[in-house]
Amino acid sequence: MVDIGILLQILFWGIYAGCIYILLATGLNLIFGVMKIVNFAHGEFLMIGAYITATIFLISGINPYVIILLAMLALIGIGAVVERLCFRPILGSGKLNEIFLSIELIYIFQNGAAMVWGDEWQSVKSPYEGIAVPFGSLNLPLDYIIIMVVTAAILAALFIFLQKTRIGREMRATSQNRKGAMLVGINVERMDVLSFGIGCALAAAAGTLWVVSGQVFNPYMGSIPAVKAFAIIILGGLGSIPGAIIGGLLYGIAENAAAYFLGGVWKDAISFIILIVVLVFRPTGLFGESGE
Amino acid sequence: MRYSVLFIVIALIAAACIAGCTQQQAQQQSQATGGEIKIGVIASLTGPASNVGKNMWQSAQVAGDEINAQGGVQLGASGTKVPVRLIVGDDESTQQGGQKAATKLITDDKVDILVGGYSSAVTSAYQQTIAEYKVPYIVTGASSPVITHRTDIDTSYVFHHCPTTDSYGEYTITFIDQVVRPAVNKKLGASDDRPFRLAIIYQDTAYGKGVQTAVQNTIAKNNLNIVLVSEQGYRMGESDFRTPLTVIKAQNPDAVYLAAFPNEGAPIITQARRDIGLDTIFLNVENNDNAQFYKDLGQYGEGAIIESRFSPYTAPEGELATAQENFKNSYFAKWGMYPDMMGASTYEGIYIAAEAIGKAGTTDKASVRQALVDLNMPEVIEAMKGGKISFTKDYRESQFDLWMEQLAYDQSAGECRPHIVWPDNLKVTGFTLPSWYKPGSA
Repeated sequence: MVDIGILLQILFWGIYAGCIYILLATGLNLIFGVMKIVNFAHGEFLMIGAYITATIFLISGINPYVIILLAMLALIGIGAVVERLCFRPILGSGKLNEIFLSIELIYIFQNGAAMVWGDEWQSVKSPYEGIAVPFGSLNLPLDYIIIMVVTAAILAALFIFLQKTRIGREMRATSQNRKGAMLVGINVERMDVLSFGIGCALAAAAGTLWVVSGQVFNPYMGSIPAVKAFAIIILGGLGSIPGAIIGGLLYGIAENAAAYFLGGVWKDAISFIILIVVLVFRPTGLFGESGE
Repeated sequence: MRYSVLFIVIALIAAACIAGCTQQQAQQQSQATGGEIKIGVIASLTGPASNVGKNMWQSAQVAGDEINAQGGVQLGASGTKVPVRLIVGDDESTQQGGQKAATKLITDDKVDILVGGYSSAVTSAYQQTIAEYKVPYIVTGASSPVITHRTDIDTSYVFHHCPTTDSYGEYTITFIDQVVRPAVNKKLGASDDRPFRLAIIYQDTAYGKGVQTAVQNTIAKNNLNIVLVSEQGYRMGESDFRTPLTVIKAQNPDAVYLAAFPNEGAPIITQARRDIGLDTIFLNVENNDNAQFYKDLGQYGEGAIIESRFSPYTAPEGELATAQENFKNSYFAKWGMYPDMMGASTYEGIYIAAEAIGKAGTTDKASVRQALVDLNMPEVIEAMKGGKISFTKDYRESQFDLWMEQLAYDQSAGECRPHIVWPDNLKVTGFTLPSWYKPGSA
């Protein structure tokens, strides 16, 4: 007999994990949607976001949920520099160049972070740790509820930005048809910088939430989440923001359900099993359109 | 008189000849070693196990410096002293990285002997290369007995200088049976026939499964009144343990045994107590006796148990306490931090390598292997059975004296600190159940 209380608890952990995946995958998809580039170093932006948050928190003691804004701003800047110096020169020169460039960036960021912060595992403690909110038979830690609310707020802000602002509409237009966007006078290179910066900022937000949830981090932490983010955007549909959100949530819940029903060693495998099954029946992903 | 002069002249000529021969022999020995002894150290300098790996490499360097400060390794009883040179190979905490590191050290750097190896899964992956090139290898971290028990390849050049998962699995279960179980029964007011409810969370590798198997075998072999209520595996390097811990909590355990690396063990305990509300006793494998582990645990480590043989923060009283203190001080002076257990056994591994090469009088690998087989050197900084380091004739394993520590929160340090609670001849205080401890129920 399966205990409903335990299932609800597992669902809660799944949604929490999904929040990290959603932010990471949405950023990756935003970049892919506009620039059509494959950036395997996206997980490294999560790692840098985590370190920036931890460093500011340990130095200043500022609430880490406030630092998330600083981390996102910092990563917008770092992302813009990376786009301008690394990706723009090779844009359109072939996928192989993008792949090799992003792999090189992984090593540069990982070793750079190891030089700056050391490669020891680290963790920080949230000011809200130990506070739980009763919910039926469950005691839900406050931090995870805040993480879910913050994720929803960031996604809502992104939605408003993309739907209601001129720059957001220009970004969507560039994503839908780059040549058409150029023909109507949209500065697509500006959209590239913006989308790359915002994508990195979303990864930084994921890194901050990773840190405040008390998970350990080191310079090599970004690789596995990045691989999962790629699987999520393929599952949800390349370039589709709703696809990244649904895919991220699905992965978070599926991983934790697999850990419960099948054992922890199936946690990663289940994500890729789902990916294969979806691609067999819907090769463009859940929300993808043919031709992308 | 003339005879006396003649005798003295003959004696001088003979002495000169003997000295010349000895010098020539020493020169030949020195030339045979290339003027230095090359010791390869395989450690995880990058990847998930880098914390422990760096500690191993840094400890090896402390040993190397000490040996060279004494003039090096004396080859044979009357041979010359030759300095040691340590060369590190980063296994990147992966099997592929381990293969690359071992191959490079053996074929490019042409090391005379190897020391190190942390993850059993990683070490197993390159054992074929060790067997092929027949390089003596003193494993100081990988604890799966498979390392020297496997029969699919030749392991005769591999020597195990760390307790195996069999040893500490058995030791920890004995401690639970003799100390923790009675304490829990006393708290509950239960009779001795109440089965102790133990859960295991283990890394799904040769190391974690080795501990799991040792626990199962020890309970079965000794017919102990301990029941395994939950056995949860996880992937190496995992950082989110909330779901398996939720499953464990649902089974109401009296204690949880972790077969984890320090970067996994600290999050497991923290998430269990902070997020899941699993207020129980957590028993840890010795590799977690690591300064970073204490730092990461914070106050959540209170009451936890570590099976140990070397700690950065405590030592059993006796002669070895001074030796351990000297090592910790040398390490701190060089690296500004404290060594951990894997560092301690790697430090000893370098001394064992030096002793074996010194006894062999050569770096010829077959001779060095034989010297390791015949080894009977005094313990260095860790307590060994009989006070001597030697390898068993069957599986070439050295035999350690172990102890159990319980962690107590130290307000001044802002971290927990260990206190030896078992066995009786070493303990400084008794095992206690924390006030917040919640025993399990069926």
